[in-house]
Parts: sequence; structure tokens; C-alpha cells
Amino acid sequence: MDRRLNNLAAQLDAGLVSRREFLRRAAVITGGTAAGLTVLNSMATAQSSTKLRVWLFKSFVTAGNDVLEKQVQNWAKDRKVTVETDWATFGDREQKFVAAIEAGNPPDIAEMNILGPMRYKAALKDVTRTASDIAAARGGMLPFADRAMKLDGKYYGVPRYSMTTVFYIRKDIMEAKGLKPPTVYDPGVVEFAKKTQDPAKDLYGFGQTLNRSDDGDGFMGNILWDYGGGVWDKEGKPALATTFHDQNLKALQFAVDTITKHKIQPPGVMGWTDVSNNEAFMAGKLVTTNNGASLYYAMVAKKHELAPKTLLVLTPGGPAGSFVGASCYNWGIFQKSKYAELGEDLIRYMEEEDHFAEYMKVSVGQAGPVYKKRAEDPYWKSDPNFGAILQNILRSVPSGYPGPMTPASVEVGAQHTLTDMAGRVVTAGISPEAALKEAHARVEEIYKARRT
Amino acid sequence: MSISAAEFRAKTGLEPKRQGPLVTVARLLGPDAKLGYLFVLPTVVLVLALVAYPFCYAIYLSMTRKYVGVPPVFVGLDNYIKLTHDGFFQRAVINSFVFTFGSVGVKLVLGMVMALVLTSAIRFRSFWTGVLLIPWVAPTVVSALNFLWIFDYSLGVLNYLLVKVFHLLPQGVGWLSEPKTAMLSVIGVNIWRGFPFFGISFLAGLKAIPVEMYEAAAVDGAGPVRRFIHVTLPGIRNILIIVMLLSTIWTFNDFQIVYILTKGGPGGATQVLPVFTYEIAFGAQRLGEAIAVALYMLPAMAAVIIVLARYMRKGRK
Repeated sequence: MDRRLNNLAAQLDAGLVSRREFLRRAAVITGGTAAGLTVLNSMATAQSSTKLRVWLFKSFVTAGNDVLEKQVQNWAKDRKVTVETDWATFGDREQKFVAAIEAGNPPDIAEMNILGPMRYKAALKDVTRTASDIAAARGGMLPFADRAMKLDGKYYGVPRYSMTTVFYIRKDIMEAKGLKPPTVYDPGVVEFAKKTQDPAKDLYGFGQTLNRSDDGDGFMGNILWDYGGGVWDKEGKPALATTFHDQNLKALQFAVDTITKHKIQPPGVMGWTDVSNNEAFMAGKLVTTNNGASLYYAMVAKKHELAPKTLLVLTPGGPAGSFVGASCYNWGIFQKSKYAELGEDLIRYMEEEDHFAEYMKVSVGQAGPVYKKRAEDPYWKSDPNFGAILQNILRSVPSGYPGPMTPASVEVGAQHTLTDMAGRVVTAGISPEAALKEAHARVEEIYKARRT
Repeated sequence: MSISAAEFRAKTGLEPKRQGPLVTVARLLGPDAKLGYLFVLPTVVLVLALVAYPFCYAIYLSMTRKYVGVPPVFVGLDNYIKLTHDGFFQRAVINSFVFTFGSVGVKLVLGMVMALVLTSAIRFRSFWTGVLLIPWVAPTVVSALNFLWIFDYSLGVLNYLLVKVFHLLPQGVGWLSEPKTAMLSVIGVNIWRGFPFFGISFLAGLKAIPVEMYEAAAVDGAGPVRRFIHVTLPGIRNILIIVMLLSTIWTFNDFQIVYILTKGGPGGATQVLPVFTYEIAFGAQRLGEAIAVALYMLPAMAAVIIVLARYMRKGRK
């Protein structure tokens, strides 16, 4: 407590001042102190140096996170500025962005995922010059990156890397059965899984949740494309139960059949979260699964016994081909930043080839290329499993395909519309046709809401 | 002998009291009125800034089309009208009621059992009280993550115990992968976490009932059940109602357990209003509609709060 207030309290106790007098004097002391602190605070603020607030993405590849932080701090030391770094990850990234933007206090620069430029365009600075310069020096952007970062002819994100999914196979089991990696889901993966699984020993041929999760939503999007369907048509209009009705119905039926008819998935798969298949694969309970490179990194980094027994191959496809949803982590600079030029300088520094290479190499295949020249880096031939990662990235397509990526296409994923569609068939027992129509109605609602 | 008013004032030194509404108010409030305002002011400002303003702003936002980073556009009651006809929202409302009343009902029974056991003559009563409070004390996120592992089909301890240790089932149960078991599981975790609050509140109420009342009832020939119905229940009636109402509000707004265990799945079977609000706010990033979802049930919750406030005031009297 303030010394003056202490004295005053003692005087009150001793009966030297009245209660009313005590209250009056206490008010004066408290008000004066508050005013003084405000002045001191403004003086302290005026003396502070340039401070850049940087939000970084924390992936499951901890070695990559360490390199990222180190490089940012090295840059700060070199440029003699203070950098305040903060981390956002899969579970809290969007919440942090929404809260910061709405509070009018976003960071100066942030590492965003592929949806960032689309979602936060209103708060982001046009970074066309930086993005174009960096891309030109690296042979240009890969098509999916260019498509996702450019909105209305301007870039709102500078691409950094792509984190894709691949198909994981237990190589030892596959070889023991004399099989080859499947290239299509039906009948390839189905037959492969039936021949390799042994439910009595709690070993299942395929592990792919259709539950609400990034993994589940990603798979459902891919399988619709694989069958020649999709949520949107070329103009970006809802097509789930209209233009692509037949294709989508077949795709949905197949996805559901992996659980209900073919029984190649573990019984609890509809309760899985994003990490469940990682855990099940590493526990030796799955022969195949779809996952990002982080699972491979985890096995390699931990020297897991299954790491050398794991084969990464291209994601299987369907009658119309094999499709994978694109990923493109990128740098964005917020309009509110007073240090936009410093932010651009930081981006150029982080994307210098030796700096990015250091990050890429510790990331064990997770930091895939977004520029043409980086796709030719010998690193991608240094591990037989990297070939599938690279090829999947090169053929990946952004949300909204075959139409444009739009706020509505982003929202369909965010609301788990496709996994709910599958979930309604698997767990609620409604027909695929009814589930398709229900999901289409949802997509229409989102489309209308986003159009206005 | 009579004296005039002027003479009386001259003799006593008393002046006639001033009249007027301000004077009357000042007289009612007492001599410290102005200073009183000064000291109440910070609280009033805090309440206005931290409660009234955000609440009013939320109501306004719920009547707008508001996306992240762009100014809101006023749309009147459109968001509420759309929600009324939204099948996903309706399902979330139904699920919220199932989740809330399923949880509160069982928590009431378990809490009562806990309180009665802890008032009986058992050994290590303090120890057991402490043990039973652990679910209430443990952070919800930690508890929910533990249950996520416990309920896992192939790696979870629950199926392992049921199938491999006690051989009670031929195969495991998909606790979080079937609509009914998923709802039962999230309710179960909420009960596990919430019943100690009921128990400890009832315990406090039971200790306030004079022993003589039980003795008198026993002398009158009342058995344990009749003593419970006619002495215990009336004795903790107010606490029981307050605890139930509080728990209803908390459970209705519970987000963490459902979000961590099922995210509202499978297929939306455990989608409750707080998770739906979260999805619309941070997933879809339609802030106006998200707030409308959150405020839609406000009248029902307000009724509960009014009843609660009345009982709390009654309890104080």
C-alpha cells in the first residue's frame, strides 16, 4: 500500500482524523498517484525502440520451430530492432487472428496458412512487390500457391512452404503379402487393406476418420474430386447435389463403405481426432493411413521402430484422378503495422535460400516447395519417401476447385460440412442421397450468406 | 405562555429547514452523499464498461452481418430469423437440452449421495472429501484430454478394462464414434466433473440442520427415508434449488468437454450451442451470426437467472 495511505490509516485508527476526512484525503492521494503513473507510462513509451511483433506458426516439427525462432532473432540482431515473437498453432491460430484484428491490435507480420490471405484480406497489406520479387528469383510460384495468394490481382501473402498429406503404408506388411502400393481407393486400397489387416490382432487395413477434423474434412474433399465431383462448379457455385450429384454420391458411398461395408477401418474411427491416426499408426494398429509429413518426422525424430518400415506414396485416387487439397503457409503484413518495410525485409531474409534450406532440412519433408526452383532442390531426392510428398504438392489444388477459392469454399471446410455429411450416413443411418441433399442445402446457405 | 416563531428561532438558534426535491434527496442519502457517489463511481464505471457495454454491443452485433476486419452491416433480426429455420441450429438446441438436463439430473443424485455419505460416521472423512473434490478442482481441459484417451476405441483404458481385463464385453465400444454413446460419454464427463460441487454444497446445507430435528423425528417414529424427505430435503431446499440453477447455467454453456472430446461429432450428434457458436465465430468467421446463436437462448437463461436471484435473495432473508 502507498506510504501516504498507510499514514492516513494510522491517523484514522488513532482518532486523529475523521472518517470523512480520511476518505477525502485517500481520494486525493489515489487520484494523484494514478495521474502520475499515466505521465510516467507515456514517458516510458516515448523512449522505447522499434519493436516488431511477429506471429509464427508452431508446427509439430519442433526442430523447425527452433530454427524459425532462431532466424527471426538473428535478423533482429542484425537489423538492431526488437522482435516480439508469439506462436500460433493448429488449434488456436484463427482465434488469435480474429481476436487481434477485431481488437485493432494485430501483429506487424504473421505466418498464416493458405486460408489467411482470403480470410484476413481486409486487414492485410498488399505485398505484391515482395511476393513477385521473391517468386521471380525462384522461377515463379507453383500454380496452387499463386492461386491462393493472389486476390483481385494482388498478393496478400508471400508463399513460404507447403505442408501436404501423403499415403502411409506399412512396408514390412505389404512386402510380406507380396503386394504393391495401391494407386486408387476402389478397389486398390480396399483390396490391399482386406489382404493385410487382421482385426483379431487389432490391426486394420486403413485408418481414415470421417469425423469432424482437418484430416476428415481434407479426405472428404479429396475423394469428391477423385470421383470427378466437388462442392463447387467452375463458376464457384454450389454443385454438391446438382452439377456433380452422381459423382459425389458415388464418392460418398465409397467413403462410407470403407467403414460399414468393407470393414477395413477400426471400429472407433468415427470418434477420431486429427492425432488419432498418428497414434494408431505408431502403435502398429494400422497398415495404411493418410497424413501429413509430421507423422514421418515424429517417427524419424524418435527413432521409432516403424520409421524404416514405413513407405510414403502418392495419395490414391479415383475414376477422375488423384487429387490432394493444397497447403501454402505464407507471410502476411498487417495494414496497421508501422513497420511494413521492416516486415518486408524480414520476409526477404527468411526466404533467402540458405535460410529456408536450413528450415526445410530439419523439417523432414514437411516444408514442401511453393516456388518452382525449390521443387528442383536435391533435398527432395535425399529420402525415397520425399518423392511422394513432392509429387503430391505439385498436383495439389486449393479449396473451391474446380472453381475459384472463395470465402464460401473456405467456410464449407470450417463448418465440417463434408464430414457431417459422411457422419450422418455412418452414424445416424440416413441414406447417402439424403445426406448429400442435406449437405447441399448447407452449402447453399453458406454461399448465399457469403455472397451478401 | 405562548411565543412566536421568530422568538422561538431567536431563543433556540434553529433556522427553518430548507425545502425542495434536491434537499430531500440529499437528506435521504445522508451527509456523505457526494463522497458516496465518488466512491461508487469506479464500480459503476467498471460495470458499465465490462458488463453493460459489451452486452449491449453484443446485442447490436447480433443484428449485423459482421465479418472479420470489416465494419458491421445492420440487418435487423435477420440472423435470428435464419437461425430459427436452421436445422443444424435446431439440432444444437435439442442436444444442448439433452446434455444439460441429462447431466444436471445425475449430478443432483450423485451429489446428494456424496453429501449423505460424508455426513455419516465414516473413517477418514476429510480424506474422502478431498478425494471427491478432485474432479471439481482439476482443470477441465486436462480432465477432458484424459477422457479422450480413456474413451479411445483401440488405445483407451476403458475398453481395455472391459474387454481384456474383466472380460465383460466381447469387443470394445466406440465411445465417441456412435451418436448415442458419444452423447452419453460427454454427459458422463460433465457429471464426473460437476457432481462434487453439488455434493459439497449439500454437505454445507446438511451441517446447518440441527441434530435435534432428526432426534425429534426419530422419536416420532420416522425412519431414515421419512427423515430424509421431511427433515433433510426441506432443510437444504434453497441450497438445492440454487445449486441446480447454477449448474444448469454452467452446463448449458459448457464448451470445453464437448469440443475436446467430439468437436460436436460424429455427424453433429453432440453439437451443442457453445460449440456451434464457436464454429460460426472462428471457423466460419461470421461474427454477427455467432453472437446471435449465443444470444438466442438468452431469454430462457434469463428466466433461470431471475429464479436463481429470487431464491438467493430469499435465502439471505
